[in-house]
Amino acid sequence: MMTRLLRAEFTKLFTTKLWLWLLLGAIGMTGLFVGLTIGLADSAGNPSPPLNTPEGQRNLFGVAGATSALAIVLGIIAMTGEFRHETVTPTFLATPRRGLVVTAKVIAYAIVGVGFGAVGILAELALALPWLAAKGVAVSLTGNGIPRTLIGVLLGLAVNTVLGVGIGALIRNQVAAIVGTLVYFFVIESLISALPTIRDYYKFFPGGASSGLANTYQPNVEFLAGWQSGLLLISYGVAFAALGTALTIRRDVT
Amino acid sequence: MSGQIVVSGLTKMFGPVRAVHNLSFTVAPGTVTGFLGPNGAGKTTTLRCLLGLVTPTAGTATIGGLRYVDLPQPSSTVGAVLEASSFHPARSARNHLRVICTVNGYPASRADAVLDQVGLLTVADRKVRGYSTGMRQRLGLAAALLGDPGVLVLDEPANGLDPEGIAWLRAFLRRLAADGRTVLISSHVLSEVEQTVDDIVIIDKGALVRQGNLGDLASQQGSTVVVRTPDPDRLVSALGRYDHRPGIRRRDGAVMVDGLQPAEIGHLAFLEGIELHELTTERSDLEDIFFALTGEGADR
Ligand SMILES: Nc1ncnc2c1ncn2[C@@H]1O[C@H](COP(=O)(O)OP(=O)(O)OP(=O)(O)O)[C@@H](O)[C@H]1O
Ligand SMILES: [Mg+2]
Repeated sequence: MMTRLLRAEFTKLFTTKLWLWLLLGAIGMTGLFVGLTIGLADSAGNPSPPLNTPEGQRNLFGVAGATSALAIVLGIIAMTGEFRHETVTPTFLATPRRGLVVTAKVIAYAIVGVGFGAVGILAELALALPWLAAKGVAVSLTGNGIPRTLIGVLLGLAVNTVLGVGIGALIRNQVAAIVGTLVYFFVIESLISALPTIRDYYKFFPGGASSGLANTYQPNVEFLAGWQSGLLLISYGVAFAALGTALTIRRDVT
Repeated sequence: MSGQIVVSGLTKMFGPVRAVHNLSFTVAPGTVTGFLGPNGAGKTTTLRCLLGLVTPTAGTATIGGLRYVDLPQPSSTVGAVLEASSFHPARSARNHLRVICTVNGYPASRADAVLDQVGLLTVADRKVRGYSTGMRQRLGLAAALLGDPGVLVLDEPANGLDPEGIAWLRAFLRRLAADGRTVLISSHVLSEVEQTVDDIVIIDKGALVRQGNLGDLASQQGSTVVVRTPDPDRLVSALGRYDHRPGIRRRDGAVMVDGLQPAEIGHLAFLEGIELHELTTERSDLEDIFFALTGEGADR
């Protein structure tokens, strides 16, 4: 039963072009961040740690995690699209046990999030490794905590995509859900991470937990340990998904 | 009874709006039943309750004794086409059906089989965005047929169809019923379904008005007497005092009376001293019955 529901979710995803656009967006965004990180590394006054330090390299290879906003949007569109186009009606007619439907979506999009992250990581490696070699910076992908950063990126994107599915189940209006979420991440969380005193709590917010998970560096901001960030982020994902599921089960589809 | 639909004491409130009110009716297996009522009568809400999409405030709606959510294989038991066109605009018809095939474990070839059945096979790979209303209705029907269900629930399937499409739909539904399927089909226009249905269930303002065999209802309802008089108000008030409480409507200055014979009306007018200019019998067509029963167009 669950296998069929998962396969159906993948069929839904791959029979429209959305995934392609978001993936291209993620590759472009990752490329841009890699370019900025390496390109500006030697400029004066750059507060980021230099590229030949472990921190610098973790930061560089953690940039694929910066596409988490796109991952959330992907999750939101996956869920709200069902309401927007009313495909939720055939979906629930085929599977009237709605809890199963939302659970399948959550699992499917966790997998999609990992795939999303994997492509981002491949893109950043393809760009960064030759570039660093040309600059004479030695990199070891197995050292300097980089494996943990990469796993953190994958896990972070998986959880963020699930978070998007949960948000979409709670706020069924697609535009409202996307705009609200982007405003939250780019305005509210940016403010939280920038304001003195308040920024000490940034580590407890979803964005801060994502950064902590990838073990990246941000000046003046402290993150929780990787495993704590991971657990916290997963808790956010599970909480939103559970809340979204509960509401989706109860709400009328008219 | 495998295909019997039973709606029992069904009530649905949307906040303060009472969409369905203590509604009970049954649909016998192997029949085509028209589910009729004016706009806003609660047809869609009732069907959505039956299909587990809307949770009733009170009462139940079951198919073969089970609520839709409890059906072991819902798509192979009940096929539904609901009013809303529920397709992703950027997905092709074939892929839309494939998603449903995947969920239910049907072979992908079923998608092509039903597309062929509804005449959409040649356009199967076009995005639904470019489909006309009639094509969407057909696609909805195709989706309902995927699991080869014994029960079909259709909400206003003729909406947006041209006369040719309606004729096609009528023949199509007749074929499905001839296979022994139970078909429940809603409409707000009786004439749309009167050639297709065996039984009708009429609701108004969320409540049952009448259920029964279409032929029986038509003969019960009998004929209408058209009366013309210079003093219609007095005639109406006289008829209102009559023991049998006949159905009275006005149309184009005439008084239309249901449930009385011309002789009875003539006698009454004679006793009251009302001058009559016309006293004729008109076999009431089904649309009139529908109006009479749902109170639309009645002189109230
Ligand atoms: N989601 C909703 N929220 C609030 N009220 C609703 C909702 N859905 C339906 N209603 C109300 O319930 C009543 C019945 O609506 P319903 O759609 O069931 O009627 P209908 O018989 O299908 O009408 P139509 O012939 O126009 O399709 C109407 O008064 C409608 O406004
Ligand atoms: Mg309706």
